Amino acid sequence: MEFRKILRNKKRIVVKIGTSTLSFENGRINFHRLEKLADVLSTLRKKGIQVVLVTSGAIGVGAARIGMTQKPRELNLKQALAAIGQAELMKMYQKFFEEHNQLVAQVLLTKDVVTIHRRNQHARRTLDRLLDMGIIPIINENDTIATYEIEFGDNDSLSAIVATLIEADLLVILSDIDGLYSADPRMETSAEIIHSVFEITPELEQLASGAGSSFSTGGMVTKIAAAKMCMQAGLDCIITNGSEPAVIFDILEGKKVGTHFVAGQQHIINHA
Amino acid sequence: MEKSKRQFRIVVRIEMATLINRDGKINRKKMDRLAMVLSNLNNSGKQIMVVSSGAIVLGSEKLNLSSIPGSKLDMQATAAVGQVELIRSYQRFFDEYGQIVAQVLVTSDIVEYPSRIENTRNTFDMLLSMNIIPIVNENDPVSTTDIELDDNYPLALKVANIARADFIVIKSATNGYYCIVQGNGKPAVEVENEITLQEKIEELCKGITPARLDSSGIVFPVSMEEICPR
Repeated sequence: MEFRKILRNKKRIVVKIGTSTLSFENGRINFHRLEKLADVLSTLRKKGIQVVLVTSGAIGVGAARIGMTQKPRELNLKQALAAIGQAELMKMYQKFFEEHNQLVAQVLLTKDVVTIHRRNQHARRTLDRLLDMGIIPIINENDTIATYEIEFGDNDSLSAIVATLIEADLLVILSDIDGLYSADPRMETSAEIIHSVFEITPELEQLASGAGSSFSTGGMVTKIAAAKMCMQAGLDCIITNGSEPAVIFDILEGKKVGTHFVAGQQHIINHA
Repeated sequence: MEKSKRQFRIVVRIEMATLINRDGKINRKKMDRLAMVLSNLNNSGKQIMVVSSGAIVLGSEKLNLSSIPGSKLDMQATAAVGQVELIRSYQRFFDEYGQIVAQVLVTSDIVEYPSRIENTRNTFDMLLSMNIIPIVNENDPVSTTDIELDDNYPLALKVANIARADFIVIKSATNGYYCIVQGNGKPAVEVENEITLQEKIEELCKGITPARLDSSGIVFPVSMEEICPR
């Protein structure tokens, strides 16, 4: 497990938290978890590690704000709820980070802003500057104005695109599943977590898309795609259970948690 | 709440600098007054949209900068910090009147893409139909064009045209008067205070149809500065 050691030297990391991790099953926000996350990320920042947070959850928070109990389906309604909820969500993050005297900033992205080279340097420079100032940028998709041609689709992809854009050296995807399993753990008792992945093979992608293997909204498929994007760009990616955000400390100590998608190791597969 | 089919739509352009004390902190009294007036207009059946500057000013305060940053890059970073403060302030003051607000950040090139105009208009329509006040600002942190401090006249115009608003209200930084720009081409009207603003708007709405219900649509003047000097 030598390659886990490389995670001890990470200096610029992107942490992605999904809706299922920051809220309860009923869709309402889990304040306690947000508080812990803010604690962990502020501590990392104090240790000199640059941190970017990619967060989902705006629509759920917006729905709760106006007292909606059902999950919205209509696009216009979702966008309106995102506009309400993003403001609320940032207020909560700011409150929790302020307890640690940690400044945060909000950066809302649409795909055209980060994938078109001519334009993405603006977003990159702003993020670089914020990180240099010791600020934790909190990123989300700009749902309110995103049309199909400029939407990322899911925040797993968004987090990988951001990690690549700012040349981070690690992406941590906090999910409600412990990592990638060798089989569906609910169906087969023999299913084991795969701790290291050196190459994303068609078999692996098949495994991720298998029935029942996607517990969270984004599912494992989009997470594997994000991991693949990272590996291709030469940065490590970890998919792990985020119910205890302190797991990020374990990851950065090189402990064997979650599934580690190892960057640039395709040629030494047999060393596993 | 009763839903009227004839709701007029008003874009209110706020220059945050007029609501900030010399020490860089928000003037609570002025902000509270504004929140009350706009919540009241909303209660009277008008649909209110706010176009507000102030992310850079509030960001500078948050970062303890002695002055507004000079470079575009520093402005963008400061805006990313300050927008959080900006929207939080609006939330806090509007909450006193039970009024929910939403944040809409648009990039300046939005008007070049019909699909984005349509999409943004739909979002505005939805928010307004829910009695929510959208707080609109430019998405400065990722902007590719120049950032002009506190100059969101052009944005207010874009928003008014996208949302097919009937009026744009601008508060003067010099004498504090409210200037009401009419989308139907009639001359702008100036009023002294909040009470007269409410009355004047009621008066102007009489005998006309909300712009977006007219097939002809509306066009706001290209330069409001000629009509409402600052």
